[in-house]
Amino acid sequence: MKLAIDETRCKGCNLCIKVCPYKIFKEGKRPNRRGIVVPELDRPERCANCRLQHLYGRRLCGVCELTCPDQAIHWIEEQPYEPMKVAIEY
Amino acid sequence: MTFEDWFRTDRLPHIYCAGCGNGTIINCTLSAVDQMGWKKDDTVFVSGIGCSSRAPGYIVTDSLHTTHGRALAFATGVKLANPVLNVVVFTGDGDLAAIGGNHFIHACRRNIDLTVVCMNNQIYGMTGGQGSPTTPWGCLSTTTPYGCAEPAFDLCELAIAAGANYVARWTSYHVKELEKAVKAGLETPGFSFIEAMTQCPTNFGRRNKFKQVADQVEYIKTHALLRAKRDRMIEQGEKVPDDFFVIGELMRRKRPAMGVKV
Repeated sequence: MKLAIDETRCKGCNLCIKVCPYKIFKEGKRPNRRGIVVPELDRPERCANCRLQHLYGRRLCGVCELTCPDQAIHWIEEQPYEPMKVAIEY
Repeated sequence: MTFEDWFRTDRLPHIYCAGCGNGTIINCTLSAVDQMGWKKDDTVFVSGIGCSSRAPGYIVTDSLHTTHGRALAFATGVKLANPVLNVVVFTGDGDLAAIGGNHFIHACRRNIDLTVVCMNNQIYGMTGGQGSPTTPWGCLSTTTPYGCAEPAFDLCELAIAAGANYVARWTSYHVKELEKAVKAGLETPGFSFIEAMTQCPTNFGRRNKFKQVADQVEYIKTHALLRAKRDRMIEQGEKVPDDFFVIGELMRRKRPAMGVKV
């Protein structure tokens, strides 16, 4: 699973930056085609739900998805054999 | 299934302002409805007029967008005509407390099997920021330019006094708790009332020194007082500050309900 922000729905309110316990979202730098500064993902492989949802069989955190007022944040399945980063936490 | 399946995705993105808390409340409500395992054909969303009441237009089930303040009257009719249906009412503070106040207390008194989700943004957002019955004391709006001089309405206390079976208040910051409260309200036979305090960055925050959306969310978060803590403060003789509001499950009881399917 990986995090994805739907740029056609996001209105740039930056509430996800406030609520994420892992501080995965950070403020975007440049406006997109619609003039909205969409937040960027900072090392999204740290997200607990991305790593462990399949293992536990349920939604683990999901606060960003519930909080996003524009329904722009969701998880998508990876393609088979897609290259991915692994977070190492000491 | 997730709550995403309940949205009319062709209607999104919705018309709410950037940072409006109403979208969060819709997510939490739909997530709770989704966990109940109800069929889309057996669920009806009813709303009145206002920002919050545009919500059923983005939901894939049958919905009624009714006259101002009369959402509860229409929902009573739907429930009593066909008690098999599960009826959820979305309403705002101006809709429920100001013009529909009479319908609200009588729906509580009759204890009809409805779930009412009130998105309390403390102002009339859609019409340009007029003061509503829930505008806190001293807050600025277009009709109270020197600060609101009236005490605000506590809708949860009103619902408890009028006889609702389940009453809870959460905020748009406490999404998980709000989701659980809505689910408990859906499971309760009889009238269940969930008040969700939301931010209104365009009309409330802009006039009340909340420049960013996150500022008002931070204010809501820091000025929410859990019910257990409030009780403890009263027990110890401390004074509860005026600008704090109580959150949590405020009432759960079993009065005889009306319109429950047998």
